[in-house]
Amino acid sequence: MSFKENMLCSKSHEYIAEKNIVGLTDYAVEQLGDIVFLELPSVGDVFAKGDVFGNIESVKAASEIYMPVSGKIIEVNDAVVEEPEKLNEDCYENGWLVKIEPDNYDSDITDLLTYVEYKAEVE
Amino acid sequence: MVKETYLHDKHVALGAKMVDFAGWHMPVQYTSIIEEHKTVRNAVGLFDVSHMGEVFVSGNDATLFLNKVVPQSIDKLPYEKAVYCQLTNKNGGLIDDLIIYKIGIENYLVICNASRIDEDLNWLVRNKRGLDVKIDNQSHNYSLLAVQGPKAIDLMRKLGYSIENQKSFTIKHDKIEGIKLLVSRTGYTGEDGFELMVENEYSEFLWDKILEHGMEFGIKPIGLGARDTLRLEAALHLYGNDLDETTTPIEAGLSWSIPKDKTFDYNGKSVIVNQILNGVEKKIIGLEMLDKNIARHGYDIYYKDQKVGNITSGCVSPSTGKNIALGYVKNLPEIGTNSIIQVMIREKLHDAKVVKRPFIQKRNRV
Repeated sequence: MSFKENMLCSKSHEYIAEKNIVGLTDYAVEQLGDIVFLELPSVGDVFAKGDVFGNIESVKAASEIYMPVSGKIIEVNDAVVEEPEKLNEDCYENGWLVKIEPDNYDSDITDLLTYVEYKAEVE
Repeated sequence: MVKETYLHDKHVALGAKMVDFAGWHMPVQYTSIIEEHKTVRNAVGLFDVSHMGEVFVSGNDATLFLNKVVPQSIDKLPYEKAVYCQLTNKNGGLIDDLIIYKIGIENYLVICNASRIDEDLNWLVRNKRGLDVKIDNQSHNYSLLAVQGPKAIDLMRKLGYSIENQKSFTIKHDKIEGIKLLVSRTGYTGEDGFELMVENEYSEFLWDKILEHGMEFGIKPIGLGARDTLRLEAALHLYGNDLDETTTPIEAGLSWSIPKDKTFDYNGKSVIVNQILNGVEKKIIGLEMLDKNIARHGYDIYYKDQKVGNITSGCVSPSTGKNIALGYVKNLPEIGTNSIIQVMIREKLHDAKVVKRPFIQKRNRV
């Protein structure tokens, strides 16, 4: 899948693809189980790398979602906020969370992993 | 060390996601909590609940002894009947909640929570002084399988079990596929169902037989995740979440289970009787969130900008799609069914409505 080949992942299970699309990895979604609630920020909100920018809940538990790089929110995927259960089917093409305008992309990604490295790390 | 039930390898082979629960490595889900939940509501599910404690209480003073440690009237419990009980401390607080079965003359089976077995045994032993009672913890020798759901009865018949004359809250010694077991018509889901207590060495065979014969009824193995959402919809308490040593059965909304005419003394009786007569400081409520947010264990409850209590259990109800919760609040007369209260979730107050418990229509009484 081209999406997975071109993205970078954080150890806290977020990804950034095409330098601006942020979401949760399939591993994270699978670990969470049935997703029932998603809360995302508004367009224009600004976050530093590592900040909590959203909240996600499965039937069992609540978790926070962290920014993989610093930046400003330029688009929010309202469709997944409306139907968070869709994330269990697809967390990439249709299941991304926010699009951002990164501040310091190149210096922020130094500790991020390729999908292959990330999978090796979590499994 | 984390303990494993006799069926542990079955769960792993079925691809279950395993978690540590009360010192046991248990399946939290096999496929999906929501799917497993709906299987139990619409068809039938199989649970491994072997982590629970099985304690036999016998001896000439067994009835006298049990009457002293629970508010229920054990002397009035008929043979082969079960009763939901609370093990109370001197202050009326809950050490555990139990099911007690009468399985013979001066012979009882006590089923207790996995997380409380040590505390229960310690308390039972402390209360047996001077009495002719044998407390025999057999938890490590028995497995407990639960078959729950509207199709449970058909499945039991298919297994060759005669359910005739076995009403809810009863227990019988019997055989299935030649295996000796104790079968009770009880459960923790709000559905009709059976719990099968069997010696460990036969549990894998029984597990396989149930899944095999259950296929035509749409059976699925069910993990602890769905067990939790099922019991919460039925407003059944979970010890450690909704019950603890500082909470009495009356505060926990369990007055219905306590006979008002019990003359016999029991631990915490003066506190419990006083609460029945004069009311309680805190009370349990059921609530339904009015937005998409989910109230979780530990969140604070507010009423008119004052903190009045906290949530003890909460989830999305897979049956209704509503966000439901149990919690305790100060016993203010103005907080009742249909009152609007607030829950603090991520530093914001969210409206919730007080609703009647249970959250669904229970179908376990037959």
